[in-house]
Amino acid sequence: MRHFDVVVVGAGHAGCEAAAAAARLGAAVAVVTLDRGTVAQMPCNPAIGGIGKGHLVAEIDALGGLQGWAADRAGIQFKTLNRSRGPAVWGPRAQCDKRRYQQVVRRVVGGLRGVTLVEAEVEGLLAEGARATGVIVRGGERIKARAVILTTGTFLGGVLHTGDERRPGGRLGERPSTALGESLSDLGLELRRFKTGTPPRLARGSIDFERLEVQPGDREPRPFSWRTAEVENRCVCWVTRTPPAVRTIIGDNVHRSPLLSGAIEGVGPRYCPSIEDKVVRFPHHERHTVFLEPEGLDTESIYVNGLSTSLPADVQEAVVRSVPGLEGAAFLRYGYAVEYDVVAPLQVGANLECLQVRGLYLAGQLLGTSGYEEAAALGLLAGINAAQDLRGLEPLIPAREDAYVGVLVDDVCGRDHREPYRMFTSRAEHRLLLGVDSARERLMEVGFRLGLVREAAFHVERERWSRRQRARTALENDHIRPDAETRARVREVAGVEISAPTTWAKILRRQDVDVDRVGAALEAFAGLGRDDCRVVIGLLRYDGYLARQEKERERVRRLRDIPIPADVDVASLPGVSREVAEALRRDRPPTLADAERLPGMTPAALAILAGRLARGGESR
Amino acid sequence: MVKASSSGLSSDLAGGADTIVARASPAGRGALALIRVSGTRTAECAAKVCQDLDFSGGWKVSLTTLRDAGGEDLDRGVVIAYPGPRSYTGEDMLEICVHGSPYLVDSVTKSFIAAGARPAEPGEFTRRAVANGKLDLVQAEAVADLIAADTAWQHRNAREQLAGALSEQFGRLRASFITALGAAEASLDYEAQGVVVDPPELAAKLEACREQIRSLVATASAGARIRDGLRVVILGEPNAGKSTLFNRLCGSERAIVSPRPGTTRDVIEAELEIGGVRMVLHDTAGLRAGGDEVEAEGHRRAEAAAAAADLTVFLWAADSDEEPEAPGIAHDLPVIRIRSKADLAPEGAAGDGWLRLSSSTGEGMAAFRAALLRRAEHEIVDLGGSVAIAERHRRALQVAQAELESCEADAPEKVAESLRWALRTIDHLVGGIADDDVLDEVFGAFCVGK
Repeated sequence: MRHFDVVVVGAGHAGCEAAAAAARLGAAVAVVTLDRGTVAQMPCNPAIGGIGKGHLVAEIDALGGLQGWAADRAGIQFKTLNRSRGPAVWGPRAQCDKRRYQQVVRRVVGGLRGVTLVEAEVEGLLAEGARATGVIVRGGERIKARAVILTTGTFLGGVLHTGDERRPGGRLGERPSTALGESLSDLGLELRRFKTGTPPRLARGSIDFERLEVQPGDREPRPFSWRTAEVENRCVCWVTRTPPAVRTIIGDNVHRSPLLSGAIEGVGPRYCPSIEDKVVRFPHHERHTVFLEPEGLDTESIYVNGLSTSLPADVQEAVVRSVPGLEGAAFLRYGYAVEYDVVAPLQVGANLECLQVRGLYLAGQLLGTSGYEEAAALGLLAGINAAQDLRGLEPLIPAREDAYVGVLVDDVCGRDHREPYRMFTSRAEHRLLLGVDSARERLMEVGFRLGLVREAAFHVERERWSRRQRARTALENDHIRPDAETRARVREVAGVEISAPTTWAKILRRQDVDVDRVGAALEAFAGLGRDDCRVVIGLLRYDGYLARQEKERERVRRLRDIPIPADVDVASLPGVSREVAEALRRDRPPTLADAERLPGMTPAALAILAGRLARGGESR
Repeated sequence: MVKASSSGLSSDLAGGADTIVARASPAGRGALALIRVSGTRTAECAAKVCQDLDFSGGWKVSLTTLRDAGGEDLDRGVVIAYPGPRSYTGEDMLEICVHGSPYLVDSVTKSFIAAGARPAEPGEFTRRAVANGKLDLVQAEAVADLIAADTAWQHRNAREQLAGALSEQFGRLRASFITALGAAEASLDYEAQGVVVDPPELAAKLEACREQIRSLVATASAGARIRDGLRVVILGEPNAGKSTLFNRLCGSERAIVSPRPGTTRDVIEAELEIGGVRMVLHDTAGLRAGGDEVEAEGHRRAEAAAAAADLTVFLWAADSDEEPEAPGIAHDLPVIRIRSKADLAPEGAAGDGWLRLSSSTGEGMAAFRAALLRRAEHEIVDLGGSVAIAERHRRALQVAQAELESCEADAPEKVAESLRWALRTIDHLVGGIADDDVLDEVFGAFCVGK
């Protein structure tokens, strides 16, 4: 029997962040994984980040997590999506060398003082009363710990599907953990069945790239992390499209798809549909986009983004080989779907600790999310909160209005989501305030206070914000007059005719002014990088909207300061609808801000609730 | 034997603990009067006031004896029991029909209060119906409008609004906002998946929202006319028969309010219902060039009244040969041209576009009335099959409209933001989300028992 402060079950993106955070906050951590070789694996697409997901990576990085830093080191192509939009929706993404990513993360996690890697299968949880005290591994060894963090991904009750072939497994070639699932049920946790899938992998040499459109990375690739000085692009991706004939091929074989025939009962993500789903749901779309992404620099494997499928192998071959450029494609691996158990929402608190079992933390896909970034963000918070609790300190619970990680935790733990949860920018009510550009400004201080971010780095960033702020003030305050010389200059730099006194801020608010040209030309931007210029101008353009969102955020913060005591009789409020009263009773929102987000809640009902709280509760 | 309905528990959650009672029919003496009771403890209260009520099944009508708190018989009455949620408020409810003496109504009400109910506040029954999702706010407003309706048009508008026609329109507007929002969000969140939303596509969806909201806002003026009446101004030279026509109309049509002096001696108004349309008729001073200062002032006021009119009636006496000069009225204002005093020139032709009319014989009155109505329906209150919105709706819609008109289609994150705000405005309007002051505004018009 061994003793640790924290035992982390699973070493994927959630498990690694959790282990690293807890260890760096002083805990002795055991990481138990089925197979050392699968630590920090990227079992699906070979990329980190994107729109919404890139926001999470930026926030993980600002809080002192690993993912962005590792992606910078393993990245082989960097691209910011939505570059033509405003800064709130820029989505940085890096194609990664999968093997390198694993090496980088394994090296840092394994090298941290306080981390012990254990290769074993966890078969059960140890609990005393309603408190987790460790795990039992196959063979009977007990690993005792004061906190347990479960990050088992798709391994609980995992079943893989290709056509009508079914076999137990958490990922291709890896066995599922069944005993652990039963152990969770025994603890009284309600499980729910979800599904996800992955596309085939093709051999690089079998693809006719000559005929395909190339997708290069950004001309100026940007790193995710404040710890990275620069990154470079080392490969390209390609785009092709499915021909109309794919509709017939799939239409003729629909009955052989476990997804459409009903063999899969788990709920899949609507936003990441399989090709058979897309063809059936959008019969009018003649073509579907397919991206070909290398899985590394020295691997043959090409990931076929857009062709996720669980059709039988022969149909997969027919579909793939009908696509221009893929006529001679050789399969390294067929696509498959995986069904797995997740812990149903509302059983975990906002600190990611199980409500029924103290000391048991959950994170990652086990909580019903999908994606490396969502998993890593939850893992980081679970690791921080387990360690904070052991040190007798307050948990870190970011609010929705402050961070995407706050939106994530609130949605995943506090809402009854019925499909794998993926982050989108549209999930954030205060989207314009939560751009990737402001992640460090919002969260680095939190990371620094926790002890996960170096103080010097925090000060460097702080200096950058004040430079941006000064640039903005200059643009707002320096008045320019329409004399001949100035008019010519404004025309040359911004392509705009001015006839009355104005400010550069006003000129730059026009959507049609070229941001980069102005950024390079104006005195106000001296000392700022091109990205910072873009951010300053982008935020100027959001002006009225930002003011409104800030006001709204203040309002929500005030509500968040008003707790709803557990003994308040919320069920019998006059003038509150049945739906709201039931939601209040069921979900027990901890503050008025949480109550406001209940389905059916109205400002009137909220006012009534606030009134009841102000009168001291009338507890039952 | 009194049985509580099985839904008693859920209505407990809905309207709060109080059971309320109030007279629903007008105050005063009548053949019959109606009293309403609503709330969780309706059955319990009823057990103390009347016998043999059964809340266990569906709606039931019973003839029963009502007693006061001391057990003395008050009256035999018909009681309808509505177990929640199938009732107006969604809670357990009673409607009690007793003889219409104010004393009796008061006594029955007191019996229920003694049994545990409390007097209802104005509009509280409807407020509970809204809280319980039986009506949305727009429909609740229609209840007030329906009760206040004086004319067929007001009645029709309120009835359609209560039936949900207007709520449906707001629902369609909301659906369009969501479609546009979906396009904006897709263009922001799905770039990586190869989903491309053309800027023109988003712009078109946004424009569709704007168009829809514009046409709804446009019904506001019709709404004001239906509710407040159409302003009809009679103009003409002195002695053209304006006042005679005015008096004739006031005498023959249903006067909603008897003629009353206007702001000056020279403009007199009367509210009438003509063919189901509420109209506010204005009689003006004669228009004549020259004249003294008093006449000039009258002239000025007549023109001011005409400028604010929805419809003018221009009189030219049939016995006068010279066509009078048309007053300075906006060109697009509908005018009905009348050769008045037709009895003085029996052989005369009306002339093109002129209508012969005699206030003393009644000749042409029917045609005049028809012309009034035709103009009202086709030119002024053209709703295109829609329901006219009220002032509160107009204000909310204009906020949403301003939001959408000002946002730039080429910045989808701003479009999304504007659409979210516009959506919120519509939700406030229909009561998906309702501020307290909105509720007060809506229910302020109610009296006790509704």
